[in-house]
Amino acid sequence: MKVLGVSYGYHDASACLVVDGRVIAAAAEERFTRQKHDSNFPTYAVEYCLKEAGLSPGDLDQAVFHEDPHAKFSRVLCSSMAAFPDSRREFVESMKAWLGRKLWAVNAISARLDLPPDKITYLGHHFSHAVQAFMGSGFDASAILIVDAVGDWACSALYQGKWVDGKPRVERLLEVGFPNSLGLVYSAVTAYLGFSPNDSECSTMALAAFGKPRFAEKMRAILAETEDGLYQVDQGYFNFTRFFRGPVTDRFLEAFGPARSYKDDLPFDCFGTPAGSISADAQRLADVAASAQLVLEERVLGLCRKLHRLSPSANLCFAGGVSLNCVSNYRVLTESPFQNLYIPPDPGDGGTSVGTALYYSAAEAGGSPGGHAYSPYVGVQLDESDAAALVDFLKPDHFLPYLKRGVDPALGSKWRWKTFADRRELCAAVADRLIRGQIVGCLQGRSELGPRALGNRSILIRPDDTKLAKRLSAGVKERAALRPYAFSVTEKDAPATLDIDPSRIRANRWMQYAVPIVEAARPKLAAALHIDGTSRPQVCYAEDNPAYHELLTAFGERFGLSALLNTSFNPSGYPLVTTPVEAMVMFARTDMDALMLNNTVIWKDVE
Amino acid sequence: MMTAIERLKIRLAVSIGWSAAPGQVSEVIRGFQATEADGVWHLYRGMSQIADPRERAIIFGHCLEEEAHADAFVRAYQHYGGRVFTPTHFERKSLYAGDEPIWKTFAFVHVGEVDATQRFRLLSEALPAGALKECLSNVVSDEEGHVDLTHDMLKRMGATESAIRTEVRWVRLRRLWERWLRVGKRVIDNLANVLLSIVYYGFGLFLHGAARRRLARGFVDYDNNSMKRL
Repeated sequence: MKVLGVSYGYHDASACLVVDGRVIAAAAEERFTRQKHDSNFPTYAVEYCLKEAGLSPGDLDQAVFHEDPHAKFSRVLCSSMAAFPDSRREFVESMKAWLGRKLWAVNAISARLDLPPDKITYLGHHFSHAVQAFMGSGFDASAILIVDAVGDWACSALYQGKWVDGKPRVERLLEVGFPNSLGLVYSAVTAYLGFSPNDSECSTMALAAFGKPRFAEKMRAILAETEDGLYQVDQGYFNFTRFFRGPVTDRFLEAFGPARSYKDDLPFDCFGTPAGSISADAQRLADVAASAQLVLEERVLGLCRKLHRLSPSANLCFAGGVSLNCVSNYRVLTESPFQNLYIPPDPGDGGTSVGTALYYSAAEAGGSPGGHAYSPYVGVQLDESDAAALVDFLKPDHFLPYLKRGVDPALGSKWRWKTFADRRELCAAVADRLIRGQIVGCLQGRSELGPRALGNRSILIRPDDTKLAKRLSAGVKERAALRPYAFSVTEKDAPATLDIDPSRIRANRWMQYAVPIVEAARPKLAAALHIDGTSRPQVCYAEDNPAYHELLTAFGERFGLSALLNTSFNPSGYPLVTTPVEAMVMFARTDMDALMLNNTVIWKDVE
Repeated sequence: MMTAIERLKIRLAVSIGWSAAPGQVSEVIRGFQATEADGVWHLYRGMSQIADPRERAIIFGHCLEEEAHADAFVRAYQHYGGRVFTPTHFERKSLYAGDEPIWKTFAFVHVGEVDATQRFRLLSEALPAGALKECLSNVVSDEEGHVDLTHDMLKRMGATESAIRTEVRWVRLRRLWERWLRVGKRVIDNLANVLLSIVYYGFGLFLHGAARRRLARGFVDYDNNSMKRL
């Protein structure tokens, strides 16, 4: 059975092709259009998925959409009417978008893929998240927690899933409806702090580590825990139904102080902020972030406890946008009543195309708990065959006027390249460069599904050199100093670095938890640590990514620890690169020293 | 004649429109950023269909410059904008089907470069000294180079002068049609604004109470958890 999963319409459009219960290909549309969080119909992602399997749309047995447009429309209509008479603009803009396009999403899929309507199925948004969380978990039975901004009507949802007679059965236990949304509150705080909502929540999370939760009581009153173990959001603080007025109300500003303009300096540095450089106002903002983060964690844990009472399983599957919060995830992993936790590689909207396609396939044709597990490496296969030939004709001198700001123009006048026939030699050569303190872009194999670079579209440096990390931030990533880096480590060296119960190490395969780092390992991982001594590790197993595992091991032979600082290979404001050319343009304009494209290494000759 | 009309339009927009609504400046810059980023995307797609590494190297340099322009507009936006920059998300569409000769894509790119150069130059002349004027001046000098570069490239790709002229005319017609569609969309948009506002005030008075009660319930009380079909 050939099933195509499709998600689009709000953010992170994606497509996934499942054939006979296995994921053949999946990718976000942004990787093809170079528009981060692209929400448009995933034309190019669908094209890629079908091409990967040598299929045409007519070969599909079914297409599955991740949302019920009619249910969502009713929520949008209701929320804009509820704020009458102050929501005319919200009503008009929403209705134009919905009546003109979004309401007909299922029809649009039918037209674009030339599929008859009876070959298109759609699921409610949170139901899609629930099956997304459950299908890849490998659990026979599990409780399922979904915490999101908002889907159709629901903002958080509790489910349970189990396999019955070779088919998955996912049942709703309870849903918390709009506008009681943990995700929307966190996004509103993100906007209040001067970051971009729906994109830079990671900055709020990073800033939180610099603050003290002195506003926690106020935040708890706003995000109040209810007697039944759920929560309720005091709407007097937010403009969820009147979003053109800004994310928070005057009442919020009275409680927490003025909002930050994105132009205002936030001089926090995850490698240590110079004493006396933080103004009282900057500290206040960090304290607000810390309070919001703490209360978010408390409410998520509250939901876990409630879910465990309703579905007393040892297993938990967790998805939805809030499950991208790695600090909160760590607390769920270590403090919730569940023993085993599974978060899919892409737990946000982008991953729903995978879950829904797997679910449909298994529900119709049957399956088994362990039969649908998938890795994040299901994206575009790198083809570097044309890249090396191109290098010989480039004139790097001509690039100098177009370097990113802050990049040292002392580049070599020539690029060199070498293709290695032997993989061990390649890893040795790249590891030598890394040991020498070079910034190396690493593109190999199939691209990762989800927001994390897991060794196939990554930029790597040695993990102990904070000066090099600062060069990486300034000259390559254009990244704020308050945001920490993450690292990859082989499973062999993970126990020596992660201060976590050994039974939980395997959960860290996809960089989803902020884990405390063992004191003795901190000097070797100094560049990948946050100010609070945590980091977001990727524990790399050879069976998941043998090529990257080999590189980590080669580096470990020289460094004494098989770990590398690993950050995503994308220019600021763009999604992860997909093709060698995109990577080479970034390589040309930034302070990167070398670029590994499968078995070919390109480097800037500084002679 | 067209240049004179364009110049007048730009002068009016800058002197009247932008001073009355300063937020428009940042929106216009956001549009410029989107244009440049879209150009890079088309160049990437075009480049993937070219085998000759010499030609690919030329397009590579072009991509790099256009991406730098997109970045320059982001910086200009940050100078004028009241909010953090968020890129526009319009639907990317390939210019031609895969079986069309690749030089046609570059004919489209060429016309785009000519138009952008003209618009940026006129705008730069109309603007008072400032971050945007400085940014545009830098971009214009590059874009002028791109106009020649894309024209030469068309010839190297085997297109004859007459074929280029025909294609350029066709592209111009197509762009004119798209412009007309945009104007039409704006008219419809304004009509929709009026109609929907009437609906809002007409029905809102009666429906807002029910809507508030529905939101206040908090819990989702219908089952939206099954597979559905139209």
